[in-house]
Amino acid sequence: MIGVISTGRYLHTLRDDAALPRLEQQLASVCREPFRRIDRFVQLALLGSGLCARDHTLAPDCAVYLGSGLGPLSENISVQEQLMRDRQLPKPFNFINTLGSSAGFYVARNLGLHGQNFFISRREASFEATLMAAFADFAAGAAQQALVGAVEEVTLPLAQHRQRLDLRDDAVVAEGSLWLLLEAHANAPKGRLELQRYAEFTELQNGLHSTWRIGDRLQCALGMSDKYASRLRQNLADAGPPGFNTEYHNSLEAVWLTDFVTHTSNSNLFVASGDEQRGWTLFHCRT
Amino acid sequence: MAGAYITGMGLACALGNDVASSLSALRQQKIPARPLQLDELSEPLAVSFYRIEDGGELFDASRFERVLAPVVRQAVVETGLSAAEIRALPVFVGSSCFSVGLSESTYADALRRQPDNAVPMPVCNYQRIACDVQRTLDCAGDTYAYNTACTSSANALLQAVRMLELGWYPHALVVGAELANRTTLTGFAGLQLIARTMRPFDAQRSGLVLGEGIGAVLLSRQAISSHNLRIAGGANNCDTYSVTTANPDGDSVASVLNQALHHTRLQPQQIRGIKAHGTATPMGDTAEALGLLHVLSELPPVTALKPYLGHTLGACGVIELVLYAAALRAGFQPAAAGFESPDPALGLQPLTTEAEARPGYYLLNQFGFGGSNTVLVLEKTTA
Repeated sequence: MIGVISTGRYLHTLRDDAALPRLEQQLASVCREPFRRIDRFVQLALLGSGLCARDHTLAPDCAVYLGSGLGPLSENISVQEQLMRDRQLPKPFNFINTLGSSAGFYVARNLGLHGQNFFISRREASFEATLMAAFADFAAGAAQQALVGAVEEVTLPLAQHRQRLDLRDDAVVAEGSLWLLLEAHANAPKGRLELQRYAEFTELQNGLHSTWRIGDRLQCALGMSDKYASRLRQNLADAGPPGFNTEYHNSLEAVWLTDFVTHTSNSNLFVASGDEQRGWTLFHCRT
Repeated sequence: MAGAYITGMGLACALGNDVASSLSALRQQKIPARPLQLDELSEPLAVSFYRIEDGGELFDASRFERVLAPVVRQAVVETGLSAAEIRALPVFVGSSCFSVGLSESTYADALRRQPDNAVPMPVCNYQRIACDVQRTLDCAGDTYAYNTACTSSANALLQAVRMLELGWYPHALVVGAELANRTTLTGFAGLQLIARTMRPFDAQRSGLVLGEGIGAVLLSRQAISSHNLRIAGGANNCDTYSVTTANPDGDSVASVLNQALHHTRLQPQQIRGIKAHGTATPMGDTAEALGLLHVLSELPPVTALKPYLGHTLGACGVIELVLYAAALRAGFQPAAAGFESPDPALGLQPLTTEAEARPGYYLLNQFGFGGSNTVLVLEKTTA
């Protein structure tokens, strides 16, 4: 069982091509030094992790797990335009910022961390993959404390962004940086988080039913078919419809979990995902 | 026993298109770097490059899947997994480039056809390589894509081992993949890290030569009798000295080495050999040498494989593991080609001739941009 110490959330919804909000002022409140030559993806990572770590003492070996479906998209666009349209060598810091690990580096530097530092992607389930990696490292004793986050960037113009993601022309999208500070013990101020893996769907059903209480909330992650999602909801008293925001974000599980931890107490959230080949994963968050 | 056994390996690199031919070329100390010129830039760029000889066009968009498929089949076929086991196989991928080559080709086509409507980065998908693997093998298990610069596939290995130890999976396929693309070649040229030849730990070292390759490792919780290599564990840490340069005092390298030894409950004197990261950059090799000497006062044989392979970036963790493991299995630690002049500032000289590989523990170092340091511990058992 893993304790949830705090959350850090930045989430911004876009419906049209209005300018993206500037982040410098908020960054100044969470950054120990003014970082130069960073892109928006790094800014988002610094902001969310900084909000999460604010008011908490982090161990120097606190691990960082950064998940993202799209990664540092705006910097990749800049580099590709420099190279393919302008036929120039990419500028060094543009190129460096295209790497997934750059954002994690700045998070670690800002917070004085030297522990494990990973960038992990699984398209629309990147936060799930990142949490699974963190849980594996907690179990192996390779981490005692971890910042686990999902960062997704939106680029303008929105029409191009939607085209890349194969979204409808009117799809509402969100950029975000959503983080949990976790520790390897159950007595944490914000709640606790459990991860269960099941080989069979019936085991997942049984696991869910054995802990379900009236008023608990169930979210079925993207990637779980409607057939299985509806079967999970059957016989669950007061499961209710999905209640979180639904604008497009590649790491929706991070939106759900951080929202739930931030805004509830004495409540349970179950996030289920999987299929017959992958097996089944159930996150149980108790605030 | 903790850790995970290597039960299958596949490889395509500049040395050869499978493990056996690559090992044979390694033993002959072949250095297959070739000149490469990029004419599309306003000022043409000429570099050396280690390419896979597959007969295809270097930047052909379909090349990735064509090279990848036989490599992952090599890794899986020798193990005799059932169809159901393959179907459930999780795929861990480490790469620096992922889909960028495909994105470049697609964007270049659009710029030629309709420049005003061309959308940059039309493909941005870290999942793509794992999907190609799944299509090739008809598997559908969990996927994990690691993008931590030059430690990407080493970190994929490290975490696959931990998830196997937890019992989440009985087997895992770990793939390191890096194929030529314009972004990487020009990006490194812009950083002025490129040299004509690679001489790790040599006094005359002046930088790295890029290479391409795909490696695949099948890991299993249980040993298979004919195999005698086990990843015992390892460690990762983050050096925040600089986003592009390891701290030259070697402290963070020493720290991750100590963590790897601690995690596997080993003493420094139990280490029989080291596969260095050895990028041949002045500061990178300095940090690695000093870090090693902080931890291992008497160094076992040290080798570096990049003179044979080029720097395959995010793939080097798996590719160099495959080649080093194949050499250990064959009974030798390979020499580091190209070394001529010791650097008195380093206190480290790599092997210039083969050394015997006895059963015991071996370290594999990988370090990358973003301060990512990873050390893996490999055991050659007596089985």
